[in-house]
Amino acid sequence: MPITISIPTILRPLTGNQKRIEVEGSSVLDAIERMEQQYPGVKEKLVTGGQAHRFVNIYVNDNDIRFSEGLSTRLTDGDLLTILPAVAGG
Amino acid sequence: MSMNQPLTGCVMKGPKSITPDFAPIAVSFLYQSEALGIQTSANENCAGDEALCFEFETPRTAPVTCEITRWEDPSRQGTVSENIMQAACGLMSVHGRTHRQPKPLGLNYVSTLTAALALQGSIAASIGRLRGLPVSSSTVSMAAAGLLSMSQYIAGATASESPETTKTAETTRPLPGSFPACPPFVSLDGVIFELETLDAGPWQKFWGELGVNSAAAGKGWRAFLLRYARAAAPLPDDLSLAISKLTYYRISRICAKTGMAICPVRSIDDRAQDDDARQIWQQGPWSFSPSSSEPKPNDEYLRPDSALPGGDLPLSGFTVIESCRRIQGPLAGHLLALLGATVIRIEPPGGDPLRGMPPMAEGCSARFQALNSLKTVREIDIKSATGKAEIRELARHADVFLHNWAPGKAVLLNLDHGDLAAINPSLVYAYAGGWATDCAEHVSSNSMPGTDFMAQAYSGVAGKVAGAGSSRGGSLFTVLDVLGGVVAAQGITIALLNRCMNNASAKVTSSLMSAATLLCAEDFRNIYSLPASGSKPSASIINEVYVTRQGRIAVECPDMDTVLRLAEVLDITAGIENKGFQRCLSEVFLSKTADQWVELFQHAGIPSAVVIEDLADLQTLTHLQPGLTPGSYTQVNSPWRFK
Repeated sequence: MPITISIPTILRPLTGNQKRIEVEGSSVLDAIERMEQQYPGVKEKLVTGGQAHRFVNIYVNDNDIRFSEGLSTRLTDGDLLTILPAVAGG
Repeated sequence: MSMNQPLTGCVMKGPKSITPDFAPIAVSFLYQSEALGIQTSANENCAGDEALCFEFETPRTAPVTCEITRWEDPSRQGTVSENIMQAACGLMSVHGRTHRQPKPLGLNYVSTLTAALALQGSIAASIGRLRGLPVSSSTVSMAAAGLLSMSQYIAGATASESPETTKTAETTRPLPGSFPACPPFVSLDGVIFELETLDAGPWQKFWGELGVNSAAAGKGWRAFLLRYARAAAPLPDDLSLAISKLTYYRISRICAKTGMAICPVRSIDDRAQDDDARQIWQQGPWSFSPSSSEPKPNDEYLRPDSALPGGDLPLSGFTVIESCRRIQGPLAGHLLALLGATVIRIEPPGGDPLRGMPPMAEGCSARFQALNSLKTVREIDIKSATGKAEIRELARHADVFLHNWAPGKAVLLNLDHGDLAAINPSLVYAYAGGWATDCAEHVSSNSMPGTDFMAQAYSGVAGKVAGAGSSRGGSLFTVLDVLGGVVAAQGITIALLNRCMNNASAKVTSSLMSAATLLCAEDFRNIYSLPASGSKPSASIINEVYVTRQGRIAVECPDMDTVLRLAEVLDITAGIENKGFQRCLSEVFLSKTADQWVELFQHAGIPSAVVIEDLADLQTLTHLQPGLTPGSYTQVNSPWRFK
């Protein structure tokens, strides 16, 4: 089932400067792994030790996956997956 | 000479009388000077209404003039004030974002920043003279200081890719007389407090304990994280509701269990009673401790022919190694770069994640660039043996090493003051922390993350802002990160002058807490019943923001003469003691636009400014343009001009 991934500027060198890409995927991890097949190097920027990297926030339709099922969060047709760097502290 | 008064022997001469709008700046300027051991005295040559002038003299240099003006554009005349400048530079609108309407901060913020930058400018100018630079004066304007405080927000508002506007800050308008659902929080028993965590885990567990569903906690987390960037944090109502059903004690217990930090909003009186408060107030916002190693002869960095390669700014030729994240430390490095230093910024392999934080400008976060665009970047894994060796090698040839690592990390990395001073005895080692000063190691606050909003709550700054009626407690504008960055850069510049004059190197520690003490220095002076350094500023008769036919206007009448001129321009016959006077003012202001009123008031000598509500408008204003450089995002220029 196709979902759209919004690519942050910092990762666009890895995706041929595409701002949005469409991939199939039943979960967030599945979508990231399929993206990795097309654009090698993306996964290591997003995933570490089986979890989303601490410095990255991943949202499914505006919902932070940490507050759902993490990388196992289910995806459905038409979902928008947004990747943003985490911001904390002053 | 005491190490905590490293400028003993220097003299600062200033005017005998000071115009009222410059008074808060002069008071802070003299407090800072005296804390450094500088002897202050009056000088007839420093008189004048157009600018506030001091003369700074060291035992080894001729006097340099320290000039403080109101605007960058010298042709713009007329008195201003703290609130007028907060309105004109956008600070009021950023602070007021949580309420969707501009509000004065309730602190002498721009004045304190201006004083700190002015003092730093004169010290930097003296370093320049010692190094053979023909510099005789430094100038700072209040407007430049105000714009500097807004630099990240201006960058965000003017970024070439999806710029932020106040309207997109996702704020909700609260009901009249109420406060919006955003930090700080209020418990069942009425305690106002801040929560803090830098990780999602404690946040998720905390709200789970309070029975808030994960989706609402997740939405709240995003808003909570972004409050540093957006000065707004609209939280789902579920969160405020859940927390309002528990006592502060109960909430504290849940915090302890889940790893969330909590701090009540305290008053300045509370803070003044802390063991370390009076000492920090007395020593000023910097703590200097000498290096035990013998520095190299200072002639080595005083030789003009070798000291100023490729630049004619006071710190040209000096090298600063910066290992800092977020705002406070990077701003300190940025200010040193503006003074001419070569700043090498250490980032983790892959670069600082904040480079990717929207909005973007030419492939990099505009906010990030606002603080880091002048630096050279070296990606180093500071935890690896190779990385540590690389940092030691950089420090060996540097003049300054600046970090804002978590407390204790420098010791763990073997990159503490002693470690690097052993390699380079002339190195100025600087720590820009949250809580830590040399005398505050045992303060209970050390167990909390040393972030802006926690420091505001603990230090009494949040309580003071609340007392001014503009918030429930504190500001989501990063009040202390910005001032803390200025204080850190100032401390380094002071240590560099001391090194040039006395061949003595040092560790400089500054913190958000010490910046808070500087910001409220006069409150502490009053609590401790100590004599003032200068004439005490008096409260204005009118100091308000009014809605006009188009836009808002900030107006200040410091004395009765100005009130009478205002009444004349507005054609109001009711006396100020009349209860209808304020209502009358509010009605009359609706008859013209804010721009029209300001023009009329300028001719009448009434301090006023259009309240900037969209930061992107700043670059269109003639009187602020000298302080800004448009581009893929609008950059705030150096606050200093040297002649």
